[in-house]
Amino acid sequence: MGREIYAYRCRKCGQLHYPYRMVCRSCGDNEHNEFDPVPLPKDGTLLTFTQLHNLPSDFEVPRLKLGIVELDGGVRITGQLDVDEPRIGMRVRGEVEVVRRVNYDRRYGMVFREA
Amino acid sequence: MSGPLEVLHMAVDLEKILRPVDRPMPPFPPKHMTVASGEEMVIRQASRDEIPDILPFVAPLMYVERDFYDIVAARVYAELMAYYKHRVQDEYVLVAQIDGELCAVVNGRMVTEDVGMSLHTLALRRGLRIGAHAFAAKMEYHMDILGQKEVLIVAESPIGFRRWMIEYDLEKRFDVPHELGGVPSWSLTKELFEKARDTLVVGRRPVPEGLLAKAEAGILPPSDPPTPPEDLLAATRSLYDPTGTALVLSRWKQERKVGE
Amino acid sequence: MRDVYVVGIGITSFTRLEYPLSEIAAYPAMMALRDAGLRAVDHLYVANMGGGRVNHQTGLASAVVDTLSLTPAGAETVENGPASGASAIKEGFLAVASGMHDVVLVTGAERMREVNNLEATDFVATLTHPLAEYIYGVTLPSLAGMFTRLYMEKYGVTERHLAMVAVKNQNNALLNEFAHLHQPITVEGILDSPEAMTNNPYVAEPLRFFDCCPVSDGGACVILASREAAEGLGKPFVRLAGIGQATDTHCVHEREEPTDLLAVRSAASQAFDRAELAPSDVDVAELHDAFTILEIVESEEVGFFEKGQGHLAVERGETSLGGRLPINPSGGLKGRGHPVGATGVAQAYEVVLQLRGEAGERQVEGARVGFTCNFGGFGNNVVCLVFAREG
Repeated sequence: MGREIYAYRCRKCGQLHYPYRMVCRSCGDNEHNEFDPVPLPKDGTLLTFTQLHNLPSDFEVPRLKLGIVELDGGVRITGQLDVDEPRIGMRVRGEVEVVRRVNYDRRYGMVFREA
Repeated sequence: MSGPLEVLHMAVDLEKILRPVDRPMPPFPPKHMTVASGEEMVIRQASRDEIPDILPFVAPLMYVERDFYDIVAARVYAELMAYYKHRVQDEYVLVAQIDGELCAVVNGRMVTEDVGMSLHTLALRRGLRIGAHAFAAKMEYHMDILGQKEVLIVAESPIGFRRWMIEYDLEKRFDVPHELGGVPSWSLTKELFEKARDTLVVGRRPVPEGLLAKAEAGILPPSDPPTPPEDLLAATRSLYDPTGTALVLSRWKQERKVGE
Repeated sequence: MRDVYVVGIGITSFTRLEYPLSEIAAYPAMMALRDAGLRAVDHLYVANMGGGRVNHQTGLASAVVDTLSLTPAGAETVENGPASGASAIKEGFLAVASGMHDVVLVTGAERMREVNNLEATDFVATLTHPLAEYIYGVTLPSLAGMFTRLYMEKYGVTERHLAMVAVKNQNNALLNEFAHLHQPITVEGILDSPEAMTNNPYVAEPLRFFDCCPVSDGGACVILASREAAEGLGKPFVRLAGIGQATDTHCVHEREEPTDLLAVRSAASQAFDRAELAPSDVDVAELHDAFTILEIVESEEVGFFEKGQGHLAVERGETSLGGRLPINPSGGLKGRGHPVGATGVAQAYEVVLQLRGEAGERQVEGARVGFTCNFGGFGNNVVCLVFAREG
């Protein structure tokens, strides 16, 4: 299924960045658009997680699980978790789905499930 | 035909008409819990005779604008008064006390055998999540003790909405206007109650004798209730300082000392 | 650069204040001017984070300088998230140290309770990365929750240690007449009692209600001046001896080591270097305990305790009033409150009060060196200050 989230590879030195930054963190030697978008892998390991109870007003659910995942290849990403019992170190697989509605806009991001 | 005894007779008859006949409602068995400060709180049912003791503590809150205290206090006052004067059907009142001091008042009604109506939750002591305990006690009363099938709930404040509607995932009953303002109701069904039983049935029974005796001995004034600002126009000038920036006072104290 | 001294301090109660934001900033400034015996200053810095977004007031410094009748003195608003306060102090320091000005007033203020709690949380969440964090519903408490879980896993910190910090700070606040919370709590009530889950529910697991600071309004002010201006005041000389600042990645997930707060480590180290002092010289500290875990971690990163041992110091009572190194005698953010723009200045207020010997019941005996750590974002912009008493 469709959507990807992109990391940005510096054309000078190959360093991967997620999210986008204007100047390469490694070589500092690029123009701002001298990055190649690279789709992020979807599989990874759960580094840490929380279940948030006090959500911003536009969320209609009472609780939300969030986590930081280290994707295969080393890039880390924050995402929502659709996992009953998250554990540090568990393998997860992500899908890009609607994660938040801001007014009438939909925001897409990574939702991870147990792999 | 119009002597004093005949007038008295008429008065008693009228009262029979005006006064509703309450359903038999099993009493709320008192319970106790340890709150965040380490103190013991007792939640028990208040009797009709105790209502005049509670009213003077509710009245001042009608003038506290923030957090919807004013409307909640005004409505609670009316509901308690109606209960006391026998002008409302099937109402109950629970009070939460720490060391005899009133910390919260909650009330509700039986609409039918199966349907309850949650009225209000008024917390007089803040910072200890007493409202959460009091609300839970109400739900336990409707479901476990009165054996009802659902409780209709509305919220006057956004805090209430988040704490009840969102937290317990209440079902919409928008076709039923709630007694509080005719707004669409939400419902805590038996099923939702069972799901949240661990959160909604907290506290311990029976209440130790001494603790219960202290609570039943009398309803004491709350020690730190919400108060209205001294100057209603305080928002426009900082000449007055109703928030009590203590430095001003301690300075004046110091200056007075120097002068002596 | 010449030495810079704190010659006046002022603070409001941290609570819900029904005044316009400019008055919340001006009131403590008025107090500080009285404290310093001054009628005019050369320049103002106003620390504030939410004026534009929450209170519909931009250009706050321009409003404040006028309401205090300090025009035509120059004035700027300084915004650095929750580190606005210490950043504004840093700007004030530079103005005096460089010789450009002799007396600079630094006031911090925030009025978060003009909106409801949900909106206040969302406002603070604007600190996060818009595309990689905010869209997921990430709030500061959720970042702190994830961080805490890792810390517990790696170093053995438990919910009990966090509860001890909460109790310590909330009870310290009882001795602070300006503090937001004046409610004693016990570890039994918030953790051990059968009803602890209702008393102290989870906010962002494993952080609970009493692990998080309240949402407050409030203002605080310090006046910085050169040595010459400080003389003749009849007050103990308190010098702002060292300042340090460092930044880290915006996204928390990009931190090199997720359990480190490198910006804290670096900022503190710089501050001590500039002050020519060491962490062991510090007698009293105000750390940024927006969440109880942060007090523990910061106490390690700034050098008071070994990494991963801060919670043991809490267990031993070393950081309580009367302990070896009292941390947050004012109640910290947890007990005193956290109007984000004012906090950095309020921390300085407390340290100066302690070093002057004016802290009353919560006085740390013989305090001569004080330290503050003001945490911006979630550890991505940190400013540390070292104060020293002279004479």
